[in-house]
Amino acid sequence: MNQNEPVIRFCEIKKQYGNFTALKSVSLEIFRGELFGFLGPNGAGKTTLIRILTGIIQPSAGQIFIGQHDLFAQPDKAKALIGYVPDRPYLYEKLTPLEYFEFMGGLYNVAQERVISKGEEMLRMFDLWDRRNELIESFSHGMKQKVAMSAAILHDPQIFVVDEPTVGLDPKSVKLAKNFFKQLIADGKTVFLTTHTLTVAQDLCNRIAIIRLGDIVALGNMSELQRRASLPGNNLEEVFLKITEEELAQLPEII
Amino acid sequence: MNSFRLVSPAFKKFKRVFSHRSRYILSILTGGSALIAFLIYYGLYRFLDYVGRAPMLGETFGPILGGLLVSKLLEMLFLTLFFMVLFSSIIAALSSFYLNEELPTLMASPLPVGMIFRSRMLLMTIESSWMVVVFFMPALYAFATALQANWPAYLIFPFFLLFAILLPNLAGGFTALSLAAFFPIRQMKKVFQFLSILVLTGLIFFLRSLEAEKLLNPSYFKDISQYILSLQVPLIDYSPSSWLHQASMSLFRNNTGEALSQIGPLALLSLAGLVFLNLFAVKFYRESWQKSMEAVDNQVLGLEWLRRLMLWPFRWTNPVFRVIASKEITNFVRDPAIFSQIFMMAAIVFVYGYNLSILPLKDIPSLYSGELNDTLVFLNGPFIGFIIASIGMRFVFPSISMEGRAFWAVKSSPVSPRKILSTKLALYLLPMMALGIVLCMVTNSVFKVSDPILMYMSYFNVILITLVITSLAIGVGAVYADFSADSPLKIAGSYGGFIYMLLSGFYIINLLVIEIYPMYRMFFNRFYMARGSSGLLLVLISLILLLASTAIWVYIPFRKGLETIENYEPE
Repeated sequence: MNQNEPVIRFCEIKKQYGNFTALKSVSLEIFRGELFGFLGPNGAGKTTLIRILTGIIQPSAGQIFIGQHDLFAQPDKAKALIGYVPDRPYLYEKLTPLEYFEFMGGLYNVAQERVISKGEEMLRMFDLWDRRNELIESFSHGMKQKVAMSAAILHDPQIFVVDEPTVGLDPKSVKLAKNFFKQLIADGKTVFLTTHTLTVAQDLCNRIAIIRLGDIVALGNMSELQRRASLPGNNLEEVFLKITEEELAQLPEII
Repeated sequence: MNSFRLVSPAFKKFKRVFSHRSRYILSILTGGSALIAFLIYYGLYRFLDYVGRAPMLGETFGPILGGLLVSKLLEMLFLTLFFMVLFSSIIAALSSFYLNEELPTLMASPLPVGMIFRSRMLLMTIESSWMVVVFFMPALYAFATALQANWPAYLIFPFFLLFAILLPNLAGGFTALSLAAFFPIRQMKKVFQFLSILVLTGLIFFLRSLEAEKLLNPSYFKDISQYILSLQVPLIDYSPSSWLHQASMSLFRNNTGEALSQIGPLALLSLAGLVFLNLFAVKFYRESWQKSMEAVDNQVLGLEWLRRLMLWPFRWTNPVFRVIASKEITNFVRDPAIFSQIFMMAAIVFVYGYNLSILPLKDIPSLYSGELNDTLVFLNGPFIGFIIASIGMRFVFPSISMEGRAFWAVKSSPVSPRKILSTKLALYLLPMMALGIVLCMVTNSVFKVSDPILMYMSYFNVILITLVITSLAIGVGAVYADFSADSPLKIAGSYGGFIYMLLSGFYIINLLVIEIYPMYRMFFNRFYMARGSSGLLLVLISLILLLASTAIWVYIPFRKGLETIENYEPE
């Protein structure tokens, strides 16, 4: 895959729930080796777009290309390139972490030896080694998040999609997760993440998109966003608030 | 704000189940349910009417002893109902009082704890009893008709039943509240799910051990007085079920005054229980709920050897099949609510086999003929179908729902929903088919089937029925999937479970109707040695019709289930 070719391409993605428009017409390209942040206030459409990207839900219109593959025409090939960690890590509670890895590895057709070695490596990295024989049902939210993150890497995906990766994690685990994402980028992978923790986004992301009411209202690296908000030198939190409030103010009759 | 308002979200959720179904489908289902209820009512009424007259016991003793027999059967039914509601209410209470997702919000609100408890109690009573009432009501009204009850009895009887439901629910509620004070609630729920299955299994054996068929044959008894005495002795003295039985018998025999006085103890006990439980809950509910928050499950349970043994054959299958089989088997072994049901299913299978083995066909020369035997062999397939359907409801139907909220993991993987459903279908079809064939082999040997056509036909029927029933369980289970349900028992007892059983019954009727002509032709040829191409052609048409309709019955539920899963949007 060429460095300058997009690994994810959203083409006019729309999502309608009855009369409610969750996504208006999102077009976006994410390139190989990018750590891309997707930000927005609550209900802006972040999770909807991520779920469409991972093939969990279908858009009302539009196309997504993962590498060369159309996600909806060749879902098996496209999905095999993605590793996904959802915002709420619901896992199979009656399995132990290693059994869960075996299950996920099987779905992605990963050799069992790789599942075991990578799974054990991830459990050690996330301090879960001592809990490896316990059922997931006894784990806290943060621990489940770590198991989900570990499972998502088993099949060595080219693209890592993470929804709210730091929610429920303790400070040490947040640092671990951040280093983990950086390592993925160093290995030539692509990370697409959403977060409300703007310091994490500012620390990690090469480029950021801000979505508001189903529309992308800003896109670029940190300095481009600062320029867009006319707040040079300010941090992402101020930039984000300025952009999203501006957009809100421009909407007639809503406020 | 009152307790009724607090249960309104649950009612709204229930209403939503119907709101997106087409009126056409709903009316077919309602009509089908009414038809099944009527068939239960009318079939049982005809049976009870015959037993009530007991012509084989003579004109003098027949009606007297027949009446006692009907009364005994009613008592058995009430006893079964009482235990079913009691155990189901303990499990429902543990869920409703302690594990319900709304509870943290309600407990954090300034609402009085008594109001919160009453709302949970109402939900728990409905959850534990609605299905029992729906299934028992036509049967109970059949008793009323057989005993020639007047119309007011039909109106009064539901109130009697209300007390019969309320009391075990109060006992269940009280047990759950008391247990929560001492034990971790999640473990208790598992223990009771296990115990309830064991008790119901025991009840099946207990009722079977009463050998009701002997009651129709006085020669089993030393003298007539001992016989009558054995009919009059209650199964359990001074029990709510025996009070309800006595009161119902008086009511159905149109002694309303006596019936009301006999229901008195049950009514008083229920009302006193209601007040007492409310006071108990006001004092202890909040405290026990807080305790329940502290308990967690954490270790892999026993039976690991069984899990490994069951997984062993899948080592050589393709990875997707292997991991799905592994997850299903692991869930099965580690969830007592699922695996304990094996005992109950085994009891049902055993009692079915035993019932067949003691059929007095050959002891009654006037009744016995090869044709009667052959007709029973023909009907055996559909009976096995009902056993397979009830096993499917417990184990296969919940399998999609039991994916739970973790279903995102499968949906975001490269494995298509079609592959998931077909893997599950193949996985469950194997044991279901094996069980069906074994049951068929055993029962065929009991009947000593001599006609090879009939024998092949019985296997053919069982294979077709199992195929359809498994596909229905997977398909309807997907259409009515409840990914938020915490227990397979709850899923099996849901509206979708009812639809699944209904559709299974419809297919079995479909099969019987199509096969009636070939059966008739077989008997006809036996008596008249007739040979003719027109008959053969009709038999061939029946076969084609049967295969075509079976293909449709397999395909449509699978297709509908697949569409639902493809469009399903996990949380």
